Amino acid sequence: MDIRVPRLAEGVESATVANILVSEGGKIEKDQVILELETEKAVGPIPSPASGRVTKIHVKEGDEVAIGQVLISLAEEGAREQAPKEKRDQLGKAETGVPATQEPVRAAEEPLAGEYRYESRSGFPPPASPSVRKIAQDLAIDLTRVKGSERGGRITLEDLKAYIQHLQQLAYAPKAAAEKAEKAVAKGVDFSRWGSIQKVRLSSLRRKVGQRMYDSWSTIPHITQLDEADITELMSLRKKYGPPFEKKGAHLTLMPFALKAVAAALKKYPIFNSSLDEAAGEIVYKEYFHIGIAVDTEAGLIVPVLRDVDRKGLLDLAVELNELVEKTRQRKISLEELQGGTFTISNQGGIGGGHFTPIINKPEAAILGLGRGALRPMVKKGKVESRLMLPLCLSYDHRLIDGAAAVRFMNELVQALENFPEKALKG
Amino acid sequence: METLTTEIMVLGGGPGGYAAAFYAADKGRKVILVDRAERLGGVCLNCGCIPSKALLHATKLIREANESSARGVSFGTPKINLGKLRAWKDSVLEKLGQGLSGLSQKRGVELLRGRGYFEDSRTLRVETKEGQRFISYEKAIIAVGSRPAMPPAFDLGNPRVMTSTEALEIEEIPKNLLVVGGGYIGMELGTVYAALGSEVVLTEALSSILLGVDSDLIRPVMRFAEKAFKEVRLNAKVVKMATSGKQIKVILTVNGEQREEIYDRVLVSVGRVPNCKDLGLENTKVTLDERGFIQVNGQRRTSDPAVYAIGDIVGGALLAHKASKEARIAVEAISGESSSFEDVIIPAVVFTDPEVAWCGLTEAEAKEKGISVQVARFPWAASGRAMTLDRTDGLTKLIIDPQTERILGVGIVGAGAGELISEGVLAVQMGATAKDVADSVHPHPTLSETLMECAEVFYGYSTHTLARKKG
Repeated sequence: MDIRVPRLAEGVESATVANILVSEGGKIEKDQVILELETEKAVGPIPSPASGRVTKIHVKEGDEVAIGQVLISLAEEGAREQAPKEKRDQLGKAETGVPATQEPVRAAEEPLAGEYRYESRSGFPPPASPSVRKIAQDLAIDLTRVKGSERGGRITLEDLKAYIQHLQQLAYAPKAAAEKAEKAVAKGVDFSRWGSIQKVRLSSLRRKVGQRMYDSWSTIPHITQLDEADITELMSLRKKYGPPFEKKGAHLTLMPFALKAVAAALKKYPIFNSSLDEAAGEIVYKEYFHIGIAVDTEAGLIVPVLRDVDRKGLLDLAVELNELVEKTRQRKISLEELQGGTFTISNQGGIGGGHFTPIINKPEAAILGLGRGALRPMVKKGKVESRLMLPLCLSYDHRLIDGAAAVRFMNELVQALENFPEKALKG
Repeated sequence: METLTTEIMVLGGGPGGYAAAFYAADKGRKVILVDRAERLGGVCLNCGCIPSKALLHATKLIREANESSARGVSFGTPKINLGKLRAWKDSVLEKLGQGLSGLSQKRGVELLRGRGYFEDSRTLRVETKEGQRFISYEKAIIAVGSRPAMPPAFDLGNPRVMTSTEALEIEEIPKNLLVVGGGYIGMELGTVYAALGSEVVLTEALSSILLGVDSDLIRPVMRFAEKAFKEVRLNAKVVKMATSGKQIKVILTVNGEQREEIYDRVLVSVGRVPNCKDLGLENTKVTLDERGFIQVNGQRRTSDPAVYAIGDIVGGALLAHKASKEARIAVEAISGESSSFEDVIIPAVVFTDPEVAWCGLTEAEAKEKGISVQVARFPWAASGRAMTLDRTDGLTKLIIDPQTERILGVGIVGAGAGELISEGVLAVQMGATAKDVADSVHPHPTLSETLMECAEVFYGYSTHTLARKKG
């Protein structure tokens, strides 16, 4: 049997082979991890759906692979009858849990013009009916560039249409063209003329982060609201309750407090927990509060999601947060854990930093940046006092949110942090 | 005499030529079809596919009658009335020929009988019974076909040394017959003569009959031939022939040893050669390859922009249905469409007993080209229908791309394989996977089920056979 790239996650069409953990001729067990795929979001292990002997490895580390592509051929042991079913199950459950029978294995979600190339090991042309072949011929479309959606990668008329539409979109997207031109310019500069240089290939993650940032930054009108919160009291609460939390295995940092404060503010101002559906002309209000945490990893920025922050106590939040960050740093986070966020917090305080202008994690409506708390001389009741001030930076989508709403949200947040109820730490 | 003018001139009235003329007429073009034979249809109808199949049908009956006594139905020894058999065969040809004439007339295709000769790239001279005619055309389609090869060493000018053309006339049933060449023509006609009562010796210079066909598909045919023929000699070469009274003396080497034998008749079936001579091609820009076939591109256009060529004359598989497909492509190309012969699957059928048929990639070809494939086989011994026909000597196989599970080729040997292969053609042409065929319900009990079960064998769950594990 062949082990193929499973459906990885919503919107994920390709991945890079990060590590190959088996070798040709080697025996493997069912569920043994055969290789790791790096997507824009994480490194995911691909377990073997069956045990057997690896007859061929079709990819090498660094290869970009698409969903449905064959990774490894396996000479199976034991009941072969079950193999196709198992293979499908794995593909089906990876994301939605929908029974595999309802979800035929599709070579790809949509054709990607310009990137896809049909590889024919047999020398046969890409599979398509004579009628589709004739249309392609008449339109001078190279079928090896069209991804087929049917069994065995067969190209249907629909696939051909989608491909042509995609080409048209590309042709009429001046932005894309400008982008391309820009890339071409960058490529053209020979930096080695002015001294020695080193070239490092962009990782799949870096590339994706770049694409997303560019997309978000260039399509959302950002405004960043800056403020500060006095967290002197909050930090004394932290100091007081740190040891008992530690006993329960939780490391109490600023973040659980921030999460709680944000969840409360989001509840009060739901527009910050919404998304803009441009196509439908609708605002989608989410009635759940899943908050993304920007995590700095060796490979780059990854944003895992903490679910139902509003329904969890400080202790649970502290424990979960630690686990989530640790998993992310070790790149063991699953793709599901990277999805479904409604708002994001980017905390630079651990490293330093004051105010900054975070970029919204599209399709969310806003993001909160936290700097490092610093002692400042503040006037309190007519007297200058030394207070610990936390820089807050709220970037929001101005299409959805007006400036006044942002100030109100920020005030709510500052209030929540400055008057954090001690009872939330007890029990 | 005035010059005829037309948009399209088709030279040759075989299954390539008439298909091209009819299709062009159907597309509203003015067409003149030139053929030198009295009856349309070319080799296929007059001295090839059709007469040989008519005779094979009669011989199949003889065999079935003979074998039937074991199943409890006995007939007397068949009496063969050669005159009547020939007349029936000829009546089939006549009916089909008339049919073609009628279809041609109704379409308004102008028929001109006579030999054609190219004066230049845009003019054909035709020697008709009524004298010379000139045709000025915009585009020409050459479809003059091929004829049986007759090496000079065998060409004694003696009618007892026959090619397929003469053999199909069955002037007599010779007591013994030497068939030179174990290709499909030698095998088919050897079968006919053996059934009619001749002692047939078949010699093949190479190590196998039906060269190019997968060996597992040949095996049942070889088993039949060894029984039906007096002898099947492989690696045997005919060196010389000479007339010896009313017989033919044949000198041949079998496994390096020289022998001299006497036969009543000899059938030379050592291949076919293109009919390129005396066409005046030198007056056009048409070029030939080293074997004498006309060179064409994917659209079947020759090096002369006004001249297209299709069928046997361009080489490749010398098969009627290939010519007919090329006819469509050439006419479409002339009409400005971008049709091409690329990616066209041409099936092949050998009407031996049992029949052999295949399409797409063969196992042998995959091996030779180093294409990684997986082969699924379903032996007919496991088919209920084959059992009821008392013909379990068949095999259905699928050549499958292990990566995509796509069916790249289909091979069948067995009774009626020629009819069964069409499903294989559809599968390969449509890019079907083994799953597609396995998932399509086939009626029971039929031989077509062997295709479905063969696909199931690939997945290891065929009902009627214990499939080996894949991998």
